Amino acid sequence: MHIAEGYLPPLHAAAWTVAAAPFVVHGARAVVRRVREDPDSKLLLGAAGAFSFVLSALKIPSVTGSCSHPTGTGLGAVLFRPPVMALLGTIVLFFQAVLLAHGGLTTLGANVFSMAIVGPWVAYGVYRLTRKAGGGLGLGVFLAAALGDLATYCVTSVQLGLAFPDPVSGTGGAVVKFLSIFAVTQIPLAISEGLLTVLIVRLLVRVSPDDLARLGIRTRTSEEVAA
Amino acid sequence: MLALDAGAYASRWRHRHPGEKALLSLGLLVVTVALPPWPGALFCGVAALALLLGPARVGARIVWRVVRIPLGFILAGAVPLLVAVGGDPWLALDPAGLRPAAELVGRAIAALLCLVLFAATTPLADVVPRLHRLGVPPAVTEIAGIVYRLLFQLLESVRVVREAQAIRLGFRTWRTTYRSLAGQGAAIFVRAFDRARRLEQGLAARGYDGELRVQVAAQPVSRAFVAATLVLLAGIVALTLLVVRA
Repeated sequence: MHIAEGYLPPLHAAAWTVAAAPFVVHGARAVVRRVREDPDSKLLLGAAGAFSFVLSALKIPSVTGSCSHPTGTGLGAVLFRPPVMALLGTIVLFFQAVLLAHGGLTTLGANVFSMAIVGPWVAYGVYRLTRKAGGGLGLGVFLAAALGDLATYCVTSVQLGLAFPDPVSGTGGAVVKFLSIFAVTQIPLAISEGLLTVLIVRLLVRVSPDDLARLGIRTRTSEEVAA
Repeated sequence: MLALDAGAYASRWRHRHPGEKALLSLGLLVVTVALPPWPGALFCGVAALALLLGPARVGARIVWRVVRIPLGFILAGAVPLLVAVGGDPWLALDPAGLRPAAELVGRAIAALLCLVLFAATTPLADVVPRLHRLGVPPAVTEIAGIVYRLLFQLLESVRVVREAQAIRLGFRTWRTTYRSLAGQGAAIFVRAFDRARRLEQGLAARGYDGELRVQVAAQPVSRAFVAATLVLLAGIVALTLLVVRA
């Protein structure tokens, strides 16, 4: 759910950039520290960023007959943690703006806030809660991806609602309007993304449990190996 | 290849300093967003399109291929401005919303063209290594550089995997489609980390000390280009203010 270039009035664009900045700076600091301790992690982080970009370019068939793209937010947050995703997400969104014209530079702050900050934190929080409550890896990953996606879409609707209040019912009404117009594509997309993410993680558990273990994802296979 | 990236390498402005092109297109972008949409966005949009098709020699086909998907979002996003909710009846067409919706669409299209003016003339390989001059930490620009280099290989991998799956009837039903898509996702993950590991080994064998040095070709900044840009931007601002006051 990218907000297109030039969509937000200048004050809103600036305000969302200011709101996103501390998270991105915090993520960048964490990454710089990690790279200083282990220079090789630079390449792994680059791989993670490229993975997020290409994952969001996969075409999911949607009910309406057209194609939609997953956000990759949920999987990214579970695999690489939200602070790192704040930075990687910013890089990916910048690349999407200048390589695909999806999103934009004036709306980068708003898009970073919804897709690289709120989405990953919601996804990661949901994943941790589900795992703590005794839920399996599959359930945790499904809820993380689906709810991370929904959170992103709700934040985008709020951002648009704040920028274009309804003449009768104000910002609240405008948010409802944007929520309902995007619900047609976003709710089925959230569910498909959840399912797809579960299938991807299941495959990864089978083919590269070591990489998952290195990223701190506990799977039955990696526990058996550790034992 | 991505259309914008391919266009950037083929554009006539390919060898201009990225700073010049950033000043022109991002200057136009800021002016588009800051000025009243009528007539500011119109002037900026026309200027960006004329520069794209004229001096920068980016083909009209590339421009259309790039803008048509964002156009869909721009139009869909403007629909809520045409209706009012919460009155009586609860949902009603709002004729007064036509003007803000038209202004929004106009501004967004103009801004999109300004973005394309930058993206279709400036390869990212020229931009990313220079970002540290704007205060971005070198570690971050290096990671962005690796992302840029890896993503084309991964996009190509996805294309090949998708083709192989299609030949094996992998997209026949919803069930097989999801299985195939998951295969693509997992393949990118495995390949991305495999590439990273191989890069790691290759760099270690060449005495990697934690710094990825990339040669950046020196490109002189053209004073004439910068001056012309400033005149164009000032002209658009002055003309818009004149029309608005009149």
